Amino acid sequence: MQGRLSAWLVKHGLVHRSLGFDYQGTETLQIKPEDWHSIAVILYVYGYNYLRSQCAYDVAPGGLLASVYHLTRIEYGVDQPEEVCIKVFAPRNNPRIPSVFWVWKSADFQERESYDMLGICYDNHPRLKRILMPESWIGWPLRKDYIAPNFYEIQDAY
Amino acid sequence: MAATYSYMASTKFSMPGWAGGKRSSIRKRVSSLTFCVSAQQQSPVEESQEVRPPPEEDSSSAQQPQKQRLRPVEPQANVKSRNMSREYGGQWLSCATRHVRIYAAYIDPVTSEFDQTQMDKLTLILDPTNEFVWNPETCNKVYAYFQELVDHYEGAPLTEYTLRLIGSDIEHYIRKLLYDGEIKYNMNARVLNFSMGKPRILFNNKTEEDQIQDVQ
Repeated sequence: MQGRLSAWLVKHGLVHRSLGFDYQGTETLQIKPEDWHSIAVILYVYGYNYLRSQCAYDVAPGGLLASVYHLTRIEYGVDQPEEVCIKVFAPRNNPRIPSVFWVWKSADFQERESYDMLGICYDNHPRLKRILMPESWIGWPLRKDYIAPNFYEIQDAY
Repeated sequence: MAATYSYMASTKFSMPGWAGGKRSSIRKRVSSLTFCVSAQQQSPVEESQEVRPPPEEDSSSAQQPQKQRLRPVEPQANVKSRNMSREYGGQWLSCATRHVRIYAAYIDPVTSEFDQTQMDKLTLILDPTNEFVWNPETCNKVYAYFQELVDHYEGAPLTEYTLRLIGSDIEHYIRKLLYDGEIKYNMNARVLNFSMGKPRILFNNKTEEDQIQDVQ
């Protein structure tokens, strides 16, 4: 089963893998980290001018880290805009994914949060530093192998 | 006893971003450190019995059988409140929980002048809200544990994370003292919410022979 965007990418010879459709029927594609920056530019030129959300998650203990992008094509007079979901997987020991900040500016804080929580390094991000945790924090709190430190004020919050 | 206890210790933490000349001067200060436990607004009797600068401690302190020896910073005269200069980003390093306040600064025990430029020292202010009843013996236990932790984290980067690790360990130690019955809640405290658990009788009393047996 192949969606419209996947067929279009195949026609232009762009490497990707289709992951099917999510529960709302949005097409989901997997793209390699090294291709992601060029394909992001191509998708922007294609018409996906709105990065609706960016998030990241840890796929499995000891497995890959994923960075997820939901793109929407906003046009006048359209009530069912085209949507696509892009997933980029990176290995845990050296998670490097090109930043899409220079394509969609709204990726700024989302990518910083993904860096803060999961330690994914977004290349070419202008100010990649921790956004939620204190800057001197050690470790990546949302990874599955993270062990929370025995801090007094965390476990005794009253 | 309306007293706030404070204790200062020299650190050997590495400071990221400090120039090389600065770092060497820190080492020199650490090697010549001396002794003072100070209790804020405390009776002069206690002050005098605790301030004893021991002679030549550098070589002997490593082989001492009693390893938790207090070796605090010597009291300084004419300390003025100074903030961190802009050169270091004006950083303020502290760990503040209810019973433990740790500042990377020199705080004068008498005048409470706060000199943040002396970042090679850590000042511990113990239980500023007076939730527990302290006596010099239990205070010194906490100070000794603080000194031990500071020695343990020697070489660690001087960041807030490290100070939080130290402060949390001290809080857990205070809780252990409370459960062992060595310190008690201060019933005249301003806020009486028993933040380390409700008072109990014989919580950790393992030595008691005639404990009540569980009903089978």
